[in-house]
Amino acid sequence: MVKRRRRGRRKSRRKVVSRRPLWIRISLLLAILLAAYVTYLDFQVRHQFNGKRWSLPARVYARPLELYAGLEMTAEQLATELKALHYRPVVSPREPGQFSRNSNEFHLISRPFDFWDGQDVSANIRMSFSAGKLARLTDAASGKALSLLRLDPVLVGSFYPAHNEDRVLLQLDEVPVSLTDALIVIEDRDFYSHHGVSPAAIMRALYANIRAGSVVQGGSTLTQQLVKNFFLSSERSLTRKLNEAIMSLLLEWHYSKDEILEAYLNEVYLGQDGNRAIHGFGLASYFYFERPLAELGIDQYALLVGMVKGPSYYNPRRHPERAIARRNLVLDVMAKLELITAEESARAKARKLGVSDYQRTAINTFPAFLDLVRRQLQRDYRDEDITSEGLTIFTTLDPQVQWQLQGVLGSRLGSLERDRGLQANTLQGAAVITSVQGGEVLALAGGRDPAFAGFNRALDAHRQVGSLLKPAVYLTALEQPRRYTLATLLDDSPLTFTARNGAVWKPGNYDRKNHGKVPLYLALAHSYNVSTARLGLDLGIESIIKTLRRLGVEQHLNPYPSLVLGAVEMSPLQVTSMYQTFASGGFRTPLRAINAVLAADKTPLQRYPLSVQSAIEPAPDFLINTAMHFVVREGTGSSIYQSLPAAVDVAGKTGTTDDLRDSWFAGFTGDRLGVVWIGRDDNQTTGLTGSTGALRVWRDLFTQFNNSGWVQPAVEGIEYHTVDQKTGLLADASCPDTVQLPFISGSGPVQQAPCVTGKKALPDPVDWFKELFQ
Amino acid sequence: MKLSSALHMPVAVVVLALVHGCSSAPSQRQPTPVVEHGRPAAAQHPSIQPQVPVYTSAPGTPAAVATSRQPAAVVALLQQAEQQANGGDLESAAASLERAIRIDPHNPILWYHLATVRLSQGEPSQAEQLANKSNSLAPGNYAQQARNWLLIAQARRQLNDSPGAAVAEQRARELGAR
Repeated sequence: MVKRRRRGRRKSRRKVVSRRPLWIRISLLLAILLAAYVTYLDFQVRHQFNGKRWSLPARVYARPLELYAGLEMTAEQLATELKALHYRPVVSPREPGQFSRNSNEFHLISRPFDFWDGQDVSANIRMSFSAGKLARLTDAASGKALSLLRLDPVLVGSFYPAHNEDRVLLQLDEVPVSLTDALIVIEDRDFYSHHGVSPAAIMRALYANIRAGSVVQGGSTLTQQLVKNFFLSSERSLTRKLNEAIMSLLLEWHYSKDEILEAYLNEVYLGQDGNRAIHGFGLASYFYFERPLAELGIDQYALLVGMVKGPSYYNPRRHPERAIARRNLVLDVMAKLELITAEESARAKARKLGVSDYQRTAINTFPAFLDLVRRQLQRDYRDEDITSEGLTIFTTLDPQVQWQLQGVLGSRLGSLERDRGLQANTLQGAAVITSVQGGEVLALAGGRDPAFAGFNRALDAHRQVGSLLKPAVYLTALEQPRRYTLATLLDDSPLTFTARNGAVWKPGNYDRKNHGKVPLYLALAHSYNVSTARLGLDLGIESIIKTLRRLGVEQHLNPYPSLVLGAVEMSPLQVTSMYQTFASGGFRTPLRAINAVLAADKTPLQRYPLSVQSAIEPAPDFLINTAMHFVVREGTGSSIYQSLPAAVDVAGKTGTTDDLRDSWFAGFTGDRLGVVWIGRDDNQTTGLTGSTGALRVWRDLFTQFNNSGWVQPAVEGIEYHTVDQKTGLLADASCPDTVQLPFISGSGPVQQAPCVTGKKALPDPVDWFKELFQ
Repeated sequence: MKLSSALHMPVAVVVLALVHGCSSAPSQRQPTPVVEHGRPAAAQHPSIQPQVPVYTSAPGTPAAVATSRQPAAVVALLQQAEQQANGGDLESAAASLERAIRIDPHNPILWYHLATVRLSQGEPSQAEQLANKSNSLAPGNYAQQARNWLLIAQARRQLNDSPGAAVAEQRARELGAR
């Protein structure tokens, strides 16, 4: 600027020397300066208006609810989901976003929605629920059965830029005409005829203000208001007024009325939510009425338009009487100018404000899950893109599971503290729930307070895993069917191990006893340390580390013997990743919290596809899962069946660390895997084992799921034998304690147990699949 | 873009295959391992199966569960995936198949079709893995396994692994003959 000015002066001096009077020279100079200044403003106006106008936060959505006959869901659960979606209960649904309910019968009109694989249109449907299931889904008009309907997903949070401005961007054709009409008649009647400033409006305002003796009316056009918000600070000075006028004229010169109006509709400030500024009618509609602008009525448009004058003075939640008076004034003007009829106006004025209840929306409903989403996004996007590019992020979150998890975690920790006389609020917990085959993170708790956005224990609390590691040891053994089967007797007698450096290791069992010869599956079921340590040493620590790597454990592992008893620190999420491989039939399935990302214009940016990687052969995976099934049927996890139906098959493992500092349980059914950790932030003792602590949270949660009679799917290459529990050898009906166990084909015992008398012979081992399919 | 033969199947065939897949699904599951004699656990759990492994489809068994789950939603998604794939929109076809897998994750046919889409998208390694996954969910279903192995053979050819492809074709032939 300074440079340019000097050069200008020199030029003018040379040209006009002595020939012209001083006043001409000065005005010429001023004209040139003004032209330069206007050019500068013009550059600013065009640059900002053409470029990206707003930082748009990323919107994060839960998984969409898929409705189909047979879906395991209760009418109550659907009602909760619809509430979170802000569907309105009405007597008879007419528009998208409305539903009616008659106990187990629903009539609903869904909203259209842009998904990553295209737009779903609105559908008018009827549903009925019975016996914990969606029994019927029909098209409301034709009455014909519908195979599937995908609802719009629940918005669970946003990633905001640093200045916390929020917006739901609208295009002009998405804004109802009655709203823009009302806005123009109230704020700027000459909008379509002026050139950015309206001398008539200024005179009107001046007259009104002089008569009133104070400022009662503004003469600013919509264009000026936009310029003020868009380019200028809020200081009140003559310079600013001048800039505003020049820039308004420039804006009008370069851009159409529609473009200016659209920008105004998205820019206007309409309220404050804590430190989040509510900009634009699109977001204001959600903020005050919890639904899209298109679903509002004329009275609500009138209220929003009326609030432009003073969003805090006319705040309908804080000052309902002022807001209603202002709204009715707007309606009167609209009727007077025949935008609406007198009856419409009267009807609208008779309505309540209809503003939603709560004042402060929690910006992010599930902060711990959103933390995981953000970290996964950061692998592919820069932080400023996440907060400003208006991304739509479709996550795997199942809000039903998340609500259930939050409920049980808090209440179980509270009751554990009460039952055990612990100081209140000293226990902490974390949990991760995933879908078994897809590896989708359905729910995540980072602590007992679900609203707390701080330390995320599910991701960042790295704690000793203890016995949770044992299945990796046993799997390593079971992958060598010539040496080890589920029936192999392990030695649980006292063990002293001296390392090469002379260090002595003497592992002991939790019950401080030794159990002699124990079949392998029972050693895991009862989580015996001594026999596990001996097995691990036999197999070699390196081979166990290799197994852990295949299972998906990525962090540094020290090749010390104590590793086999779980002397390694992992986060609940890392444990989940490891157990995911067991649960999904031996396939490593990367845990995903995101399904897809769309750009602001709804074009797909990125998909996070389902992918699998074979890590363990199906047969040994089946064996280790069978052993973990015994953990729950008769080992350390058996208290699960105090509340879970016996028909539900569960495989899992408890984990307890020294001095009862950490209580773990990792377990899965056919559909879901859950890992729960309980401990204290100061790493002091909790007094809880895996089964008295974490397992109870897991049980509380899974009891709420509809785990309808799942049994572990079989695999090929497995045969069953009935063996004597004491010796692990073939049994017959005369043996007192027998168990039927799966073996990798050809690895079953051949020798008969001493208890066999031959009186009542058992049938020969059967290859079930040959029998079934021949 | 050339699609693998699977997605050129007429809808009716796909649906038939799917229904077949569903009806054979129960027989792919076995009773849980059994603890006998003097174990209190056994007495408490009515689900525990008879000692001799005989498959029955009595109420409460997986057969009843599987048939009570309407496959209509899955069929609809499979048809949609087929249309999307034939229209060249492979990514949407994959998305539809993932939706179907979310509803019916143990159905080997869905994993197989996802494998065919990935193969058409030029992702032979992932296609082979998905076919492996389908195999693991289809014990005893030799027809499905044969299809999976043919697909694995195609994937290996794309990876220029001719010996591997020949092995896979051999597996497919053996399974087809069973």
